[in-house]
Amino acid sequence: MNISQAREQQFLDVYQKITRLTSMVLDHQEVMDAIVRSLPKLLEIDACTIRLLDNSTRSFVLGAAHGVSLEYISREVIDTDATMAMVQSGYPVFSPHVDEDPSLPFRDAANREGIKSVLTLPIVFQGKLTGIMRLLIKTERSFTSDEISFAMALAEQVGLAIAHGRMFKEMEVQLDFLREIQALSTLVNSTLDLDRILSTMVERVAITMGAKGCTLRLLNPATNTLELAAAYGVSSKYLQRGEVENERNIKMVLAGEPVAIYDLHHDQRVDYLQQMADEGIISLLAVPLKVDQEIIGVMRILTDVPRVFSSIEVQFAVTLAEVGGTAIRNARNYRKINLLFGQIEEHERFLNDIINSLPHQLLVFDQRRRVVLANKVFLAAMGKEESEVLGMNYGDLCSSSVIGAISCPVDQIIQDQKMKPLVQEYRSGDQQHWFERTASPLYDAEGRIEYVIEIIRDITSEHMLAEEKLQSGKLQGIVELAGTVAHEINSPLFVALGTAQLLIEESDQSPIINELGIIIRNLQQISDLTKKMTSMTGFVSRDYVGASRLLSFTDDSR
Amino acid sequence: MAEILSLDDVLDATVLVGKILRKKGHVVHTFTEEDEAIAFARQHPVDLAILDIKLKKMSGIEVLALLKEENPAMRAIMLTGYPTVETAREAISLGADEYCVKPIDRIELEEKVEKVLNARPRQ
Repeated sequence: MNISQAREQQFLDVYQKITRLTSMVLDHQEVMDAIVRSLPKLLEIDACTIRLLDNSTRSFVLGAAHGVSLEYISREVIDTDATMAMVQSGYPVFSPHVDEDPSLPFRDAANREGIKSVLTLPIVFQGKLTGIMRLLIKTERSFTSDEISFAMALAEQVGLAIAHGRMFKEMEVQLDFLREIQALSTLVNSTLDLDRILSTMVERVAITMGAKGCTLRLLNPATNTLELAAAYGVSSKYLQRGEVENERNIKMVLAGEPVAIYDLHHDQRVDYLQQMADEGIISLLAVPLKVDQEIIGVMRILTDVPRVFSSIEVQFAVTLAEVGGTAIRNARNYRKINLLFGQIEEHERFLNDIINSLPHQLLVFDQRRRVVLANKVFLAAMGKEESEVLGMNYGDLCSSSVIGAISCPVDQIIQDQKMKPLVQEYRSGDQQHWFERTASPLYDAEGRIEYVIEIIRDITSEHMLAEEKLQSGKLQGIVELAGTVAHEINSPLFVALGTAQLLIEESDQSPIINELGIIIRNLQQISDLTKKMTSMTGFVSRDYVGASRLLSFTDDSR
Repeated sequence: MAEILSLDDVLDATVLVGKILRKKGHVVHTFTEEDEAIAFARQHPVDLAILDIKLKKMSGIEVLALLKEENPAMRAIMLTGYPTVETAREAISLGADEYCVKPIDRIELEEKVEKVLNARPRQ
């Protein structure tokens, strides 16, 4: 075998190896690494690099390298625009004297690295450029057409491997993602605890996507501002860096568009570059949180390594965000309802306290005259529990529903009559009590009586005071009448008595004296009576004849 | 023997007082009109005034006050058909010597008059 055949055999061996690798290995990184390591020896070059095309930024990012320093491969400009344009059109480009040519933007870097020439080859899959492979030489040499063809063939393998690897990985990722979506959905829908849902989401998303961290911000409907709701994997110092609403990526997400940024430090769509650098964040994927087409927040997945987010990953994040969004909405509603219930319970307690602190008995009846509410004062007066009284009929509670011509106030209201208070007397042992019952209606939205409120007021002391006043007035009247009568009688009585006494003194006839004595005695009786009348302080009514009654005067001073 | 003024809105009552006390040797001037009694007392100072509390125009208390103003040394007995603590207190505070209730017994009246006329003058 001559040198050429031996060379061809070597090419074939390497090609077979690479092809086998391509079919067996699913991680295209392995394929790329194998190629960049194999080619230098095989093609007698010094270094080989593979850069993959980032479709989102339309720039080339390092895939694999062998034989060059980190400093060289990290340079900003890869090659001239002309070279890149050629390569992107699918043609290989050989650049000699790269260390001398002043028009080349990477001349100094090449010089420092000792690189003399570069062969740049397109990596194509299904007619589309997916990357570039560069063969670097530190000596002055050129490539034969065979070598270039071989390298192109390998580059195609790289393209194939990348495509296969990506496809398989995508399928794997899709499956994982589907499982994760299911798991997360189950998790977040198993609870209505909003905080738990939020913290679970950020943690699971970060872990599933192999990210450094994840943050979740929700829109406050009242202020229309984003508020941090949950975070995982980032420091509080980073989280407190400031408001993010003005960042372009946020505005894009709030408009409904997911945003993937490969290199944050050179991207205009983010602010706080220093803080991100300090936190070690390099790439970012931001997706909207949606519920029924309404955007309620933003979820951001942060990586500490450069990351090209595939469309699958973006879709996964978007789907997770939607699952989370629904759960968040449900939890928020649940929280609101709980809050409302709490407020209602608080109001009910407050109302109960007011009703139970009233000094009067209070009852509420429905249209069927059944008790729907009884306050503590009423229950204590009846000596009953609330459960015994609720539902009882009014007739069972109100011992006499009609007193004379007046029916109970509740009946008056229900019968649409003008309400007249009802006063009832009640004897308990040797004590008498008086109660006044009044009622008022509660109307529904249509103006019909829905409930009737009855208040039972203990008016015993008022009643007794009124009675006392009445008696006192009577007594006062009688005393004044007695005094007046006595006064009017006394003067003529004085004249009659005095004259009779004078007569008796002047008379010497016994029969006249006797008769005068009778007159004087009777006049003195009248005098005693008038004295009683002027000094009376009270009276007692006593029977006379039939239904007639007389008063007996009493004098408390005697 | 004393000069006594008797004032009562009831004619028979003042006449009776006059009859009772004249029998005792007193000179009794009887009136039913307050103005006449006051005018008389101004012209003819009396030793004792027997005044009914209820009169036609004024009360006996008011008449007492006027008579006492004219003649502080004059004694006074108040007569009333309707005794009250207020009228009694007022009468005494204005210088009445006795406060009697109608119908007063003839003998009681004579004794009260005797007692008042013989009492030492008030300081």
